[in-house]
Amino acid sequence: MAEKPKSEYVPNIYPGKDVVSERRKKLWDKSRPLLKYRSVAEDDITQILSHRAVRAAYVSVHPPLEEMIEPYDPIKHIVVPTPGTRAGDRIRFIQMSDSFHLPSIAPFGRQRLYFSRFRGMDTVVYSGREILEMRERDLEKVAKMLLETEIFNPGRSALKGITVHGHSLRLDEDGLMFDARRRYIYDRDTGEVVYIKDQMGNVLDVPVPIGPPFSEEDCKKLCLTYSWDTQPYKARTELFEVMSRATKMRVIAGFNPEMIDESM
Amino acid sequence: MKMKYEDKVSLYNDTSQCMTENVPIEALSPFCNPYMKDVLDLFKRTAFINLSKLQSCLKEGKGGWETVLGQDECKMPWYGRDLPIVEHAEEIADRIRDKVGKFGDGEDSVTVMADTIVVKIPKEVMEVSASRDPVYTWTMVALCQAIAEVFNINPNTDLDGCNMLKAVVFGRYPQSITFSPGAPVSGFLKPSNVVDGLGAEYSGITVNHIVAMVNKRTMDGLALASILEGAAQWEMGNAVGWYERYNLLGYAYEGFNANNLVLDLVKENREGTITDVVYSTIIRAVEDGVIKVKNKLASGYKIYTTNDFPLWNAYELAGTTAAAIVNCGAMRSGQAAATVLGYINDGFALETGGLADPDGGRMEGAGIGFAFYTHSIYGGAGPGAYTFDHVILRGSGFIQPPIVAGMCLDSGTQLFSPEMTSSAFFKLRDMFPLLQDPLKKVAEAAEQIKGEIKKG
Repeated sequence: MAEKPKSEYVPNIYPGKDVVSERRKKLWDKSRPLLKYRSVAEDDITQILSHRAVRAAYVSVHPPLEEMIEPYDPIKHIVVPTPGTRAGDRIRFIQMSDSFHLPSIAPFGRQRLYFSRFRGMDTVVYSGREILEMRERDLEKVAKMLLETEIFNPGRSALKGITVHGHSLRLDEDGLMFDARRRYIYDRDTGEVVYIKDQMGNVLDVPVPIGPPFSEEDCKKLCLTYSWDTQPYKARTELFEVMSRATKMRVIAGFNPEMIDESM
Repeated sequence: MKMKYEDKVSLYNDTSQCMTENVPIEALSPFCNPYMKDVLDLFKRTAFINLSKLQSCLKEGKGGWETVLGQDECKMPWYGRDLPIVEHAEEIADRIRDKVGKFGDGEDSVTVMADTIVVKIPKEVMEVSASRDPVYTWTMVALCQAIAEVFNINPNTDLDGCNMLKAVVFGRYPQSITFSPGAPVSGFLKPSNVVDGLGAEYSGITVNHIVAMVNKRTMDGLALASILEGAAQWEMGNAVGWYERYNLLGYAYEGFNANNLVLDLVKENREGTITDVVYSTIIRAVEDGVIKVKNKLASGYKIYTTNDFPLWNAYELAGTTAAAIVNCGAMRSGQAAATVLGYINDGFALETGGLADPDGGRMEGAGIGFAFYTHSIYGGAGPGAYTFDHVILRGSGFIQPPIVAGMCLDSGTQLFSPEMTSSAFFKLRDMFPLLQDPLKKVAEAAEQIKGEIKKG
C-alpha cells in the first residue's frame, strides 16, 4: 500500500479555470515553487520578528530530542521531527495581516498554503489576520519565504504581532494598508516600504527596507480574491457547483449519514 | 447477540501487527466489548481519598477554596487540627469498608495504596441510585464518620473540629454546588451537577489525565479516549439508530487503528504535510472502493461520490487523526492538533468535490472554536487542560482522540503539561493494570466475543 506511486493521483486542489482559480491552485500546490520578488536578509527577518537578538543563540524549551528520555512510543520514532524540534527550540510566532484591496493572499489562503507547504506548524485563521506558530528556527526559515515571494505585497500585507486592525480600511495616501502603530512607512526617495518598528511595535535601531509595493497592474494580476474588477461573478460557476454540493451533503450527513448515495 | 451490520475490521497495534482479524464492528461497542465495560465501570464507580492532602488541609485549617493553583483563599489555622491521618490509613479504610462495602457482593471495595484510599462503590448501590453521585456522597460521608470515630471527634469533644472536617472534605457544599478543585476526595468523572450537557459524563475527563493514564503512548491514548468519548456519545443519544454504524465505524478507524489505516497514513507521510495526508486518504479510499470519481468538470476538476458515507467519514477521521499525528509529531507539540481539526475539513471537501467533511462539518466548527480558545489569538488555556463536555468542544464527538494524540506527542512545550496538571494519574496507571495497553485489550476482548456475534 505505502509503496504505491503517488504520481497516478492528480489532486483537484480547486475548481474552476479562471485566473483567480489558477492563482489559488498555484499557491496551494507545493510542487509549484513561488516566484521570488525580493531578498530580505536573515538578520533583518530576525529583527522584525523580534523574538531574539540578532545572531543570539536560540533559547530552548526542552533539551535536544536525542538527549531526552521519554516513555516508549513507536509513533515518536516514525514521524520525522523538524530541525527546530530536534534542537528543542521555543515555539514563536509570525502574524500576518492582508488588506481587502486586491490582496495577493488572504488569511484563508494562507492557511491552505501553510497546510500544503509547511511541516510542524500551528495556525489560526481570523478575519483579517493569520497567526503561524512554529519552532523558532523553522519559523525564521518560512518567514523568509513568506516575505520574499509573490504572496507578499509590501503595501497590502504586513507583519502585525499586535494591534492588527486595519485590513478592511481605506489605504493611506501612499497606498499602504492602515496600521495604527505605524510599523512601516513608504520611503518616497527609494520607492520602498520600510519597517521602522518590529511586528510588536518596538522601534528598530536600523530601519529594514522590504521592497517596493506592487503596481496596481501587478496587484490585479496576483489577486487571490474574486471581485467585480478582477474576476466577475460568472467566473465562479464550478466553484458554486462544488460549494452548493458540499453544503447539501453536510446537511444530509448531519441528518442521516446513511441517506447519502451515489446519485447525489 | 445478533449482527446487524456487515462491516468487519481487523485491529492493529502501534507496531502495525495484526491483533485480531475480521471483527464485526458491534464488538467495538461498549454494550458488547467486555474490556470497554470494565473500563467504564472503573471510571464510573471509583473515588480517591488523598489522605496527605486531607491531613495537611486539616492541619492548616484550609477548606472551601475555589482557585485551581492557589487553593489558599480560606484559611482558618485557629481551627486547624493536627491529626496523624496518613498513619491511620488502614484503620480509616476498614471503617469505610464497614459502612460502604457491606452493600456489595463481596468484592473488596476499599483498598489502600500509599497515601491514597481507593473506594469502589458497590454495583448494587449504583443500581438503586438514580445518579452516579454516591461515588462522591457515600465516600465523603463515610470518610468523615471514619475520621470522627478514629480520632474521637464529636460535638461534645470538639465542636469546631467537626465543622473543620466537613469544610475540608465537602468544601462550601451545599452553599456552593461545586467542590473545591483538587479537593481531598476526587473521582475519574466530574460530579454530575457540574457536567456541561446531558450524557457528557464520560467526556468530562481532562485531556492530560488520559495522556498520563496511557503514559504518553499515542495509539493507546487514541484508544482510551475513544472508549470514553464513544461511551459518552451513546449516553448522549448520538449513536442511536441512524447514527449507530456511523459511530462504530468512526471510532474503529479513528481510535482502534482498524485495518492499520491511521498508521499506514502516518508512515506514508512521515516527512509529509497535512495536505499530503488528505491526498493519501483519498488514494486509499479510492483503492478500497469507498469513494469513486463520478464526473469531471470543464476544468478537469473531479467530483467524487460515495454510496457509503459512514465508511468514508471513518476514512476521513483516520486521515484527520493521522494528519494530527504527522503535524504534532513533526513539531512535537500538542498545540497544533486543534489547527488540524479545524482546517483539514475544507481540504477534504474541496479535494472530493463536496463530499461531506469529517462528522458532517461538526468537527470543523468545534475544531475552529478549540483553536481560538487555545491560542494567543483569543486567549484561554492549553489543550491539555480542557474537558470535552466544555461548551465549545461538545459539538463533535470525534475531536477528543486526535487532541489526546497531539498531547501524547508533546515533548514539553506546554504550560499545562500532563506532569503539571495530572501527575497523580501517572501513578493510577500502576495502581490499575486494567488501564495499561488499552488498544491491545480492546482487541483481545473483541477477539474473545466475535464468535458470539452472529448474523440474525
